[in-house]
Amino acid sequence: MNLKILLIAITFIPALSNVNAQISKAEIVATGLTCSMCSNAINKQLKSLTEVDSVVIDLNTNTFVVHLKKDNKVSPRILKERVEKAGFFVGSMIINMSFENVEVSDNYKFEKDGFSMVFVETKAKTLDGENKVKIMDKGFVTNKEFKKLSKSLSKYPTYIEGNEDDYHVKVMVP
Amino acid sequence: MSSPFLIVGQLKTGDTIPDFILTDHLGESIHIPSFKGKILLIDFWASWCAPCRRANKKLVGLHRDYGSANFEIVGISVDKDQTKWLKAIAKDQIEYTRLIDPHGFEAKSAIQFGVEALPASYLFDPTGKLIAINPTEQEIKQQLNHFKK
Repeated sequence: MNLKILLIAITFIPALSNVNAQISKAEIVATGLTCSMCSNAINKQLKSLTEVDSVVIDLNTNTFVVHLKKDNKVSPRILKERVEKAGFFVGSMIINMSFENVEVSDNYKFEKDGFSMVFVETKAKTLDGENKVKIMDKGFVTNKEFKKLSKSLSKYPTYIEGNEDDYHVKVMVP
Repeated sequence: MSSPFLIVGQLKTGDTIPDFILTDHLGESIHIPSFKGKILLIDFWASWCAPCRRANKKLVGLHRDYGSANFEIVGISVDKDQTKWLKAIAKDQIEYTRLIDPHGFEAKSAIQFGVEALPASYLFDPTGKLIAINPTEQEIKQQLNHFKK
């Protein structure tokens, strides 16, 4: 194979570029049979991660706000596993990411620290600065919501594949 | 596997009641060991904790029926917002001892007792020894009958 062509081809796949996007915060709503805020377990599990700076509990929205340290390499799955270890499930996870002029569009995908993010139901736009994205994958939404999403997002092949290192995200309107 | 139902108390049955002072709803300092001589139920709760509020109703009834020179309930709220606490005690019509340690799960008293989930209650005998953690209403009544002179 012609190496030059291959190199050019690689250069022109922006979808797989390692963009500069840092997770700074995660807002997690936990569900379960008991009141998640009434247990100290989730708080303890999240705080035990070295990448976690602090956990603030918002009692008005029943949300665990997890502040992450700078340059962390935390993946959403690690946070989800901590919630599950505490005996609960993730009902929703919204992550704050800071982007540096990243042009996103529908089905745009980028790689980051061993995982990838695929933008779904996204109109073409440039993301710059802090943005909130909601994770739409199984285990990050309620089972009921996942059932709906597996229909509405069926046009995204990676969503149906369900690879645990592919996160399907939707940009939240501020 | 860890469970949210499990309370890993630092206090064990047979232990003596911890010595601490907290403020009540009128701003008075209350010394916990001053309740020695009575059967004492200490209940940790918070205004935002729905199961706690349901439990409050039962405790109010228990206090109304059994509260006497021999039995007292001390509710310790870990609410960080004092206003919400005061509103909750008014709404739930709590008349037993109302204390606050406004630091959530980081409250010193909650740590001393080993509170890992709310509500959490601790029953002490008149000598100040812990006899039960999270006793049922029936267990409390049994103890009250047991110590009745």
